Amino acid sequence: MEAGSLLHSPIPWNPKLSLRRRIRSTFPRFFYFRAFSSSSSSSSSSDSQGGYRGPKPRRDWVADWVSNNDDVVRSLPICVGGASLLAVLLNRTVSGIAPVADASSSQSRADLLTLGLAVTNILTGLVWLSIRPKSVSVVSPQGVECRRIYSHLPDSVVSELTWVWQSLSEVTCCRSLIVVYDSHCVLQIGFAAGYSIDDGEPVAVDADKLMQGSLCQGVIKSGAQSYLANLSLYPGKSELPFLPSNTQAVLLQPLGEKGIAIIGGDTIRGFTTSDQAWITLIGEKLDATLAKNVRNTPLVVQDQL
Amino acid sequence: MSKALSFNPLIPLKMHVIHPQFPAKKTTAKPFSISARLQNQQQQLNLSVLRFTLGIPGLDESYLPRWIGYGFGSLLVLNHFVGSDSATATPAQLRTEVLGLSLAAFSIFIPYIGKFLKGASPADQATIPEGTEQIFVMSQNISDTQKEDLAWATYILLRNTNTIATLISVQGELCARGYWNIPEKVSKANLLDWFERQIERIGLKDLKDTLYFPQSSDSVLWEMLPKGTRSLLVQPVLQVPKPGANQVEKIEGFVLLASSMSYAYGDKDKAWIGALANKFGG
Repeated sequence: MEAGSLLHSPIPWNPKLSLRRRIRSTFPRFFYFRAFSSSSSSSSSSDSQGGYRGPKPRRDWVADWVSNNDDVVRSLPICVGGASLLAVLLNRTVSGIAPVADASSSQSRADLLTLGLAVTNILTGLVWLSIRPKSVSVVSPQGVECRRIYSHLPDSVVSELTWVWQSLSEVTCCRSLIVVYDSHCVLQIGFAAGYSIDDGEPVAVDADKLMQGSLCQGVIKSGAQSYLANLSLYPGKSELPFLPSNTQAVLLQPLGEKGIAIIGGDTIRGFTTSDQAWITLIGEKLDATLAKNVRNTPLVVQDQL
Repeated sequence: MSKALSFNPLIPLKMHVIHPQFPAKKTTAKPFSISARLQNQQQQLNLSVLRFTLGIPGLDESYLPRWIGYGFGSLLVLNHFVGSDSATATPAQLRTEVLGLSLAAFSIFIPYIGKFLKGASPADQATIPEGTEQIFVMSQNISDTQKEDLAWATYILLRNTNTIATLISVQGELCARGYWNIPEKVSKANLLDWFERQIERIGLKDLKDTLYFPQSSDSVLWEMLPKGTRSLLVQPVLQVPKPGANQVEKIEGFVLLASSMSYAYGDKDKAWIGALANKFGG
């Protein structure tokens, strides 16, 4: 990706979104912001940063409280709605009014409106409960740690590759990363399967065999990322013997026409759509970097555990 | 690339089962690679969630409880004063009305809370504020690899997060991209100087901690940002100290992101932006 092409290419905005104005009621936001946060105006300068003269953000109590008590908050609308429904009916019976839904008296009208609100809350509660994300547990990969980098690479490329590994391992559930480019294994880092059951040598990547396997061929031909969200379901797993046997999810990112990055994760469906988008663009950058730098010399291995 | 899928708390008039964008095809005797890809597409799009929707395109249903709260609440008040004589309101009616009004207040509050739940994605997409122009400027006297890095970083930030304007400053070199409000008296050639002056005024170069303002506020920091900015994230770029050397972290610069939505940057976004900032430090 040359710098020039980016300078001239427009930022691809979705045309449907370009001038859409949302009907937004800002009143309640400011109302509750005043009521529930300590102040609505930011403080002026703060000298503790030694030269930074701008404002510092306030803690958002509501957001923190809601994130911490997720389950309670999810069931809140349905409880409130259900309780109100019962209360309205109880009110009618206790006051001796017949429970008939007609709009003739103002009492009935008020009851109907309240019932409508209660039903709204119940349905919102149902939707919130139905979209509760399922939490999946992390499975520790069984294997040995390894760190192999193709030795004939300039420092800038090595630092870029280590940056990619650090970002992926810190931000996503990635535990193994293999980069194969131009029939060389450029990088194998993280957890890898061992040759023997307990802590043998990490299994080396046979770059030629990998590139010719159907898994990689399919990915490179289509040019699109491939996400095997639950690796145990795929028989193609046998083409990736160097990954720990209990790797849960694998992301295959093609690097242009000549390379592939294989990212192994420790959680089923562990890579979110945001992760996938970032990895796609990082893959393009890696392709540009590697295309300038990989040469045809035999692979020499540096083992650092 | 699709962002932000499903998970809007929506409200009823009819129930639709929303299928994922690529409907599941029956793949009986197909070669492995193709069926794997179809299964991937289905899994990539998360679940087929039961959603209640009015089916009107462009209408954001997650705010429906709020509108219903306003509407019914005002009808309740109207009913109290107009529907009958105030003097003849029975205690039963008053009880119902109090209950109804508190329910209405709760309904108005619901979309606000709903945003913070796990799995909730922002209901609105970033919109481009009016009166801004799209710019892309970069300091000139830096190496080509650095130019490429800066161009790629700004591109990826604008593309993958809900950002409309970004400004990166690393070791004194600037790169600004996106939709900014430039005052008329600043010509294209002086754009970089204008940014420099703004940065000097606020002292952003000495920032040590990440700043995140999820809602708009009036402060000196916001004057340089485009008019419709609602949230702001400033991530400092720190030089990773080399082991064995002195442990002081040097501040190399910062990455500034402005978005036209409130609460635009979730934890995942912030983690990725931090990782990107590490690329420029050390």
